[in-house]
Amino acid sequence: MPARLAAALTVATFAALYIALDATSFIAPLYGLNLTPWNPAPALALVYLLRRGPAAPWTVLLTVVVAESLIRGLTTPWWPGLLSTAVLGAGYLGLGQLLARLLPPGGLLDDRRTLFAWSGCIAGGTLLLSLLYLSALQLSGLLPAGAWLDGVRRFWIGDSVGIIVAMPLFWWLSSPRGRELLRQTLGKPETAAYALLSLLLLWLAFADGLHSFRLAYLLFLPIVWASVRQGMAGAIVAASLLQIEIVVTTQILGYSGVTLAEFQMLSLAMALIGFFIGAIVDEQRRTSEELRHSLRLAAAGEMAGALAHELNQPLTALAAYGAACEALLARGESGERLQRALGGLLQEANRAGEVLRRLRDFFRTGATQLESFPLARLVSQAVAACQTRAEREGIVLSVGELPPATLLADRLQLEVVLRNLLANACDALAGVAAGAPRSIRISGELLPGQRLCLLVEDSGPGISPAMAARLFEPFQSDKSSGLGLGLAISRAIVETHGGMLWGEVAGHGRFKIVLPVQEST
Amino acid sequence: MNSQLTVFIVDDDPAVRDALGLLLGVHDYRVALFADGESFIHAFRPEWRGCVLLDIRMPGIDGLSLQKKLGEIGNQLPVIMMTGHGDVASAREAFRALAVDFLEKPLDHERLLAAIGEAFARQSSQLQQAAEVQGNHRLLSKLTPRENEIMERVVAGRHNREIAAELGISPRTVEVHKARMMDKLGVGSVAELVRLQLTGER
Repeated sequence: MPARLAAALTVATFAALYIALDATSFIAPLYGLNLTPWNPAPALALVYLLRRGPAAPWTVLLTVVVAESLIRGLTTPWWPGLLSTAVLGAGYLGLGQLLARLLPPGGLLDDRRTLFAWSGCIAGGTLLLSLLYLSALQLSGLLPAGAWLDGVRRFWIGDSVGIIVAMPLFWWLSSPRGRELLRQTLGKPETAAYALLSLLLLWLAFADGLHSFRLAYLLFLPIVWASVRQGMAGAIVAASLLQIEIVVTTQILGYSGVTLAEFQMLSLAMALIGFFIGAIVDEQRRTSEELRHSLRLAAAGEMAGALAHELNQPLTALAAYGAACEALLARGESGERLQRALGGLLQEANRAGEVLRRLRDFFRTGATQLESFPLARLVSQAVAACQTRAEREGIVLSVGELPPATLLADRLQLEVVLRNLLANACDALAGVAAGAPRSIRISGELLPGQRLCLLVEDSGPGISPAMAARLFEPFQSDKSSGLGLGLAISRAIVETHGGMLWGEVAGHGRFKIVLPVQEST
Repeated sequence: MNSQLTVFIVDDDPAVRDALGLLLGVHDYRVALFADGESFIHAFRPEWRGCVLLDIRMPGIDGLSLQKKLGEIGNQLPVIMMTGHGDVASAREAFRALAVDFLEKPLDHERLLAAIGEAFARQSSQLQQAAEVQGNHRLLSKLTPRENEIMERVVAGRHNREIAAELGISPRTVEVHKARMMDKLGVGSVAELVRLQLTGER
């Protein structure tokens, strides 16, 4: 039975990991009891409970008892030790119940609200648990007289710090998305850099050999670095790293349990600060991602609106030609007028097809598809698309000097932007008095810092300072045939590419696009 | 039957213009085509009869502004609006400016023909009314000043004796003037006189 085998394997893996972790972290125990300043094993138990491993509550309870008797040995008589350990295991089950309401299985513990509630729950829950556990130990006579308060303090620090620092790591490792994100983070050179920095600072902090915290604040630097740059994933990696480094260093240097407990408070502060910075960074990234997405939707909506209008025109003509054919045939006329109607019919059907092709093109580019292409190609394609209109309206459309640059961008989206600017220029020239020069010119130049400036100029009246202020706001248009979203969307597209788009107040029409360049030769 | 009435089509799209022109031509309408609002206004003559088929979305003057402008220069032609996407705001605006109909593109040609029929009917009744007004006006202008004075007072509801006292003439003379005035205007009752006077004054 493979399902049952898999379940058994999961249980065995969990139990083995838990016992190994408990054994490894059994350092500087108070009175030989399970009262250590570093106790990350419960974090593993909590994650197992939350992920609903096979027979989760029983497995956890049993594993806690087995680990206790394997590592700390049985007490004589055996039942008081077993009883207090059972209290401990039951406490973890209760804490697991509490957290189950807080952590959605799909979540990654990476927003401030959840983090705040989670850390509060752990701190409060472990306090309650340490009170109960120590009381149980006291009642069963395992604790020396007068040691209750010390024990509570030590156990609380060990458990709360252990869980808070280690649980996000285990939680992420238990989800496929979290594993993938951690894997990516570990693969980055930057991760190695802050890991090295943390080692260096650790050496600085402990080099004086004094059991003091004089330079311990330096250890905040790597975790702040990691979380600011890599979000929650970086914070988890750095916090786990620092936790291990601190425990190992204090062990090597033979620090007392009390000092380790104090260092654990430092670990807690570092981990929490790292997690919260990481969560803020992640939240911000998600927000900007959503914003981009909604801008893209707005672009699609605008494009669909424009295309719907363009589709309506051939359809109107089609319907009218069709009705004319019908009327002509009804009266048995088959001369020149029928020919004309049929010719129009075919032509308009082609035009509607052309509009649909463009629609499909746009939706294909709905998601940004980066490709590498020369600037000249982008410009020539946009110009070709507007050439017919320019010729019809007697406009001289020319391309000036273009630098030999290569762009890494979504070509079709940038083409939409250029075509939009060219169409605007044509519209501006439509109002120019007959006889006045009508010309549009595109030119480009390289700017320092691997950037490129594209200039679209026309001989129209240009924009006034009042217009310049509102030009890029949506629904601002001086044209009846538009929603006034063209420039707003063009700007959004250019900014998505890390560039800028603006109009300048000059005697004539002048728009500038600045874009990053992949390479220039 | 539509020989004196013309459908004036204003649409920036050449294919739409051509197709509508052909369709209406096949249905024996006289058609005139314009590519934009400016050229229509430029060519406009007050004596034109028929109706205007206007596209809302056009570069330059859009359909709604053109409709308003036409009203300002004394256009009597009924207007039918066409639009690609019929939003409530522009439909409301068009109807407030007394559009006959508001058609969505692509057009249903039966609705289009019905709208043109309605526009022509409205135009004819307008013409009839205008003719009536003009006729009444002409009739009223034939009255002598004295008859005019008496008519105004009759319409205001005065009795013959009161009118006589006001004008300082005998009631008998008032009656004579009144009879001749009613005769000239071709009305048989005071009610008819009131109606005629009201329409003729405009």
